[in-house]
Amino acid sequence: MDNKKFKILAIVDAVLIVVLIVVMMVLKGNYNDQAQASVKEQVGAYQEKANGMLQEQWKSMDQYGMAWKLVYATLTTAKTEAAFDAAVKAIEEDKDARFKQLSYMYTAAGIPPKVQNDINEKGGLADKFLLKNEGGVKEVACGKNCTLTFTFAKGKLQASDYKALVEYNMDEAFKLEAPAEFHFE
Amino acid sequence: MNIKNIAIVLSVLVVAIAAMLFMQKGNYVTQATEHYTKTTGNSFKGSSKIIEYVNSTAGTTKLLWALTCDAVQGAKTSQDMAKLEGKYFPATKGSNSISQKTRRFEPTAAYSIVTTFDKVDVDKKTDLKTLSGLKSIDVSTLLGNAVIAAAAEEEEGEDEGEE
Repeated sequence: MDNKKFKILAIVDAVLIVVLIVVMMVLKGNYNDQAQASVKEQVGAYQEKANGMLQEQWKSMDQYGMAWKLVYATLTTAKTEAAFDAAVKAIEEDKDARFKQLSYMYTAAGIPPKVQNDINEKGGLADKFLLKNEGGVKEVACGKNCTLTFTFAKGKLQASDYKALVEYNMDEAFKLEAPAEFHFE
Repeated sequence: MNIKNIAIVLSVLVVAIAAMLFMQKGNYVTQATEHYTKTTGNSFKGSSKIIEYVNSTAGTTKLLWALTCDAVQGAKTSQDMAKLEGKYFPATKGSNSISQKTRRFEPTAAYSIVTTFDKVDVDKKTDLKTLSGLKSIDVSTLLGNAVIAAAAEEEEGEDEGEE
């Protein structure tokens, strides 16, 4: 190759280098923004999932505590529909007692008060306790996938079965999945 | 340096920059993956621990509530209570306080129940004292109406009674 051809090659190379550097700078910014956005989005989604599970567990444990309190009340006080209704109302409305019972359990489990308050502030206590009240059949929530049924006839308690509570499998109900692989488009 | 050398050096540079361009994305993916794995990993570990510890404590309260509910439906004496305790917590035994006519069962430092009885029975042959006439069961800890005692290593102090 003669000098002229090398000269052309050198010029083409120089142009290519400039173009490639410009492309690289542009892509660098794009990749950086994309990667940051993608990480933020996927980390956020997972943290939301984990927090959601903690809040769900908190609410369920609230229902669980209320349900045991109610079962104990039905066994130790008058077995009438009126007494049952009063107990449900009293238990559900006493939010301080519910929080105290829950917080005691979490403290016993070694969960610091700050973490408990965080979970409670984000999710709050359970919204529902009495799920069904039709024709003497009353259903109360005793946690995630846990329901107790009490049957009344002529104002008297006919059947109360708290087997669901005794057999409640928390490990099955509350299990956090490991994070999925990171995806970058 | 003549033009030939310059052209060769520039060509090598073009190839090198092109290679860097292709590797650039890979680097960002690696960095992002590392950050994602670390952050979500911490979140997974922390939350899983909370879930696990709470499940475990709730499991203990479940057994203690079940024991209490069984007791109020049929237990009359301290021996009845001992049987129920053995059914739900085979490794833990309750203890009677004859002077106070109570029986205390404490499966964990945070959770316990105290059963109050009406009277003290004395076996004439063995002089063994037991309690009968179950009156009530104190479930304060199950309701959260108690203060959790500081985790003291109490077990060590119990060696004296073993002989």
